[in-house]
Amino acid sequence: QHTASLVTKVFIQRDYSEGTVCRFQTKFPTELNNKIERALLEQTVKTLNLYYMEAEKVGGQSYLEGCLACATAYIVFFCMETRYEKVLKKISGYIQEQNEKIYAPRGLLLTDPIERGMRVLEISIFEDQGSSGSSPSSGMSSCSTAR
Amino acid sequence: MPASGGESLKPSAFIPVCTAVCLLVGSTSMFFVFTCPWLAVTICPAIPPCCAVLFLFVLANFTMATFMDAGILPVAGEDEDKEDEFRAPLYKNVDVKGIQVRMKWCASCHFYRPPRCSHCSVCDRCVEDFDHHCPWVNNCIGRRNYRYFFLFLLSLTVHMIVVFTFGLIYVLHHMEDLWKLHCLVTLVVISISGLFLIPVLGLTGFHLYLVSRGRTTNEQVTGKFQGGLNPFTRGCCSNMEHLICSPISPNYTSRSYKKAVIHVRPPFLRPEIDGQMPMKIRDNGIQSLAIQDKQSSAGSVELSDIKQLKHPPPLPPKPDRGLLKSQVAAMDDVGHHTKSIIPVSIPTVPQLRPVLEAISRGSSPIPPEQLLKASEQQGNNKGPDLCSNPRESPARGNHQASVPVQAPLLPSTVSSSLQLNSLTLSSRSLNLKHSSRYASNCAAGSITTSSMLANQSSSSGNGKPSFDNLISPADPQFVAQRGAPAVSYHSHLMAHGAEGAMQRPSPHSYSPVFMGVTRQSPQPRDSTSRDPSPSLPGFLQRDSSPAYHGLLTRDLQSQSIATRDVPPPGLLMRDMTSLGFQDNLRDLYPQDMTLPMSAAARYDNFSKTIMASIQERREQEERAGKFHVNARSQALYGPDVGIYDIPSRRSLPPDNIRPAGSRGPTPPAYGSREFLMSTGILGYGMRTSPLSSSSTSSLTRGPKTSSSPLQSSSSSLQSKGRSSSPAYGPPERHNQGPPTSTSTLPRLTSTTYPTPPYTSYATAKRSSLPFSSEGKESFPLGVLK
Repeated sequence: QHTASLVTKVFIQRDYSEGTVCRFQTKFPTELNNKIERALLEQTVKTLNLYYMEAEKVGGQSYLEGCLACATAYIVFFCMETRYEKVLKKISGYIQEQNEKIYAPRGLLLTDPIERGMRVLEISIFEDQGSSGSSPSSGMSSCSTAR
Repeated sequence: MPASGGESLKPSAFIPVCTAVCLLVGSTSMFFVFTCPWLAVTICPAIPPCCAVLFLFVLANFTMATFMDAGILPVAGEDEDKEDEFRAPLYKNVDVKGIQVRMKWCASCHFYRPPRCSHCSVCDRCVEDFDHHCPWVNNCIGRRNYRYFFLFLLSLTVHMIVVFTFGLIYVLHHMEDLWKLHCLVTLVVISISGLFLIPVLGLTGFHLYLVSRGRTTNEQVTGKFQGGLNPFTRGCCSNMEHLICSPISPNYTSRSYKKAVIHVRPPFLRPEIDGQMPMKIRDNGIQSLAIQDKQSSAGSVELSDIKQLKHPPPLPPKPDRGLLKSQVAAMDDVGHHTKSIIPVSIPTVPQLRPVLEAISRGSSPIPPEQLLKASEQQGNNKGPDLCSNPRESPARGNHQASVPVQAPLLPSTVSSSLQLNSLTLSSRSLNLKHSSRYASNCAAGSITTSSMLANQSSSSGNGKPSFDNLISPADPQFVAQRGAPAVSYHSHLMAHGAEGAMQRPSPHSYSPVFMGVTRQSPQPRDSTSRDPSPSLPGFLQRDSSPAYHGLLTRDLQSQSIATRDVPPPGLLMRDMTSLGFQDNLRDLYPQDMTLPMSAAARYDNFSKTIMASIQERREQEERAGKFHVNARSQALYGPDVGIYDIPSRRSLPPDNIRPAGSRGPTPPAYGSREFLMSTGILGYGMRTSPLSSSSTSSLTRGPKTSSSPLQSSSSSLQSKGRSSSPAYGPPERHNQGPPTSTSTLPRLTSTTYPTPPYTSYATAKRSSLPFSSEGKESFPLGVLK
């Protein structure tokens, strides 16, 4: 029985080339060269970028939300979830799914950027520590994405 | 009202906000009670409801501005900052819409502040899109609550105008009963509203200006985009639209995270990069012109960058064009395969670095020593051949020309070269036939082709010891493959002479040899233009042929040989080798060349930072001398700067003299002249240069500071040259004095010292108006902030 332990963390930084909109760089970190295919990670990051773009879109729905909030003296915020929050939930589900399907089998784990203030996309790298005979302190067979 | 730093609620922080609430609610209540009934009766009954709605709007926005998190960024964990603090740059440059924006390292929060983010000294947190810390709401104004603050200002202005107007009407109608209670109360109300209307109006106008320009208060006061381009503005109307209608960004700090447990258990999957290439070799078939789109396109992209041809290669015979296309496709595979396998011993090691990285990622079945041996052998052997038979057969020339190129070779190279070896015995057309046949053979697999080539070479009997030697290395396939395209090209060179000829046709004739040999199915290429083909095969031909060709032509010209006499073979081979490899490698891995740069790019130009900081230090030292002269006269005009948190101006001139990262002496005491001069004048007088100089006083981030504000403030103040701007906790103010925030209020020492600068400024305003001579903008700002 093998255990995995956290080796290091790779941080994918924000891409500020378009301003302060939330985008992450699609540049492939060199630490993940032998861990995951480039295309997979790129696909994940691009999908996340699309989600964030959708969340931050200034359009009809956000305008209506603003008007409604003004009209109700912002009491509606206690009752209703904003669009951004809804998209964040979708993102969280997507990351969970990606972790289960793609990253955990490769010894990686994505952390939701919202936990880091949307500054970085954190990827934890785990390594096989060998048989279960090793000390328990170094072994970690599971980890949670939330803190 | 968020608690500041590590301290819990401070009573003094609530004074301005309580004052504001009392004034607002009290005055309006009195207006409604004493004035509105008469207004409803006399003027219009709709006045009180409208005023009530307006007042409700004011209160709602005020509440949101007060209680809503401004966009506080959570402190980064220790594992996010892996850089050695003493060596990591203080700044990181990032390109925002073409404009370089500097991200400063925040010592308290342990990350590089995103653009527009700033550290609030009162809250002791980095805030996104930081505007300012407002004492009247006792809250930071940032990305999430700026719209509420702005709407609060707007609605408050309107409300105050309304109250003032209607109160005035009431008083004017009751002049005879001026000393009655109702009138008195209304008089008080209109005096309060009239008095506060001026600064509120000024502040509203200021923020309207800011929104139209797409700036935050912090950026305006620090002069970040003064005279320059603001990358964050979207135009006046779009800015307004984004202000009001954009979605509210989420709260980062107080989120309830769902606990999702994911099991990470070995064994772990690993990407199958190594398996891809052999698959391609085996799957490749001459008959199938199915092109591996990715690789060929990648190859073509790389090849398009290669413009080394001085003279286009000779044209191939037309009937062979179809063959050429397939061969070109095969060449793509060759090039791609070549990409992954490159001997380390090639002279152009720096250029090979990205290639080496690729090798480390991929497979390198051929030991570098063997490859080098093979290439050397080829070089030695080819020399005499080239010398002796420049014209005898194109294939021979091709063989020899290809030899140096074969060094970074794939297993099938030997086969191709062997193929060419056999071709030397025949005419060109025969060569083409052989090459096509060879390509089909190559499709069978590298092993089979190599064996076939071995047979061919042995059977050639033409006395081409070079090719026999190709077989002898441990991996003849590897050696042979690379040679084929070059060989094919050179056949044309030799055959056609100096007329400008298509480069592609000649290689095309032999490209399938390589393509089939290597790994990919041949890819059709349109050999229509006379330029080197952008695909890898074209490149492969090019790297060998143009270089070789160029060499040839140069040599030929020097030797005045129109028929492409062969220069000294040894020299030629060496040149071919170096050039070919260089070209090959450089062109094959343009994207990989950027890999080593990626890490550097993240921390922009370190040397530039150093130079910039040195220059700024000098400037600041010079300026410190000047400021002492003008300190007294200008101290009065510094308050604006002090009012707003200016995180970027963190250093005092004396601090710049200290070495970076060291713990220097305590900054000048609060209220001292040097203190005022350094900060107030810096902030007010010169917006751009002193600020930039002060903010880059220290290169590195300095030692890590603890999370507590007291420690962080002290360490940041002393050691890092203001790497975290006002990361000073309130106690620090007592000891050292915040250099920026309260530096310009020398008169407000005793009573309002611990409070935020804006509050202290307001207190000063009430007691006396020392700064009334200043412009309106600064004045209301000081009052209301």
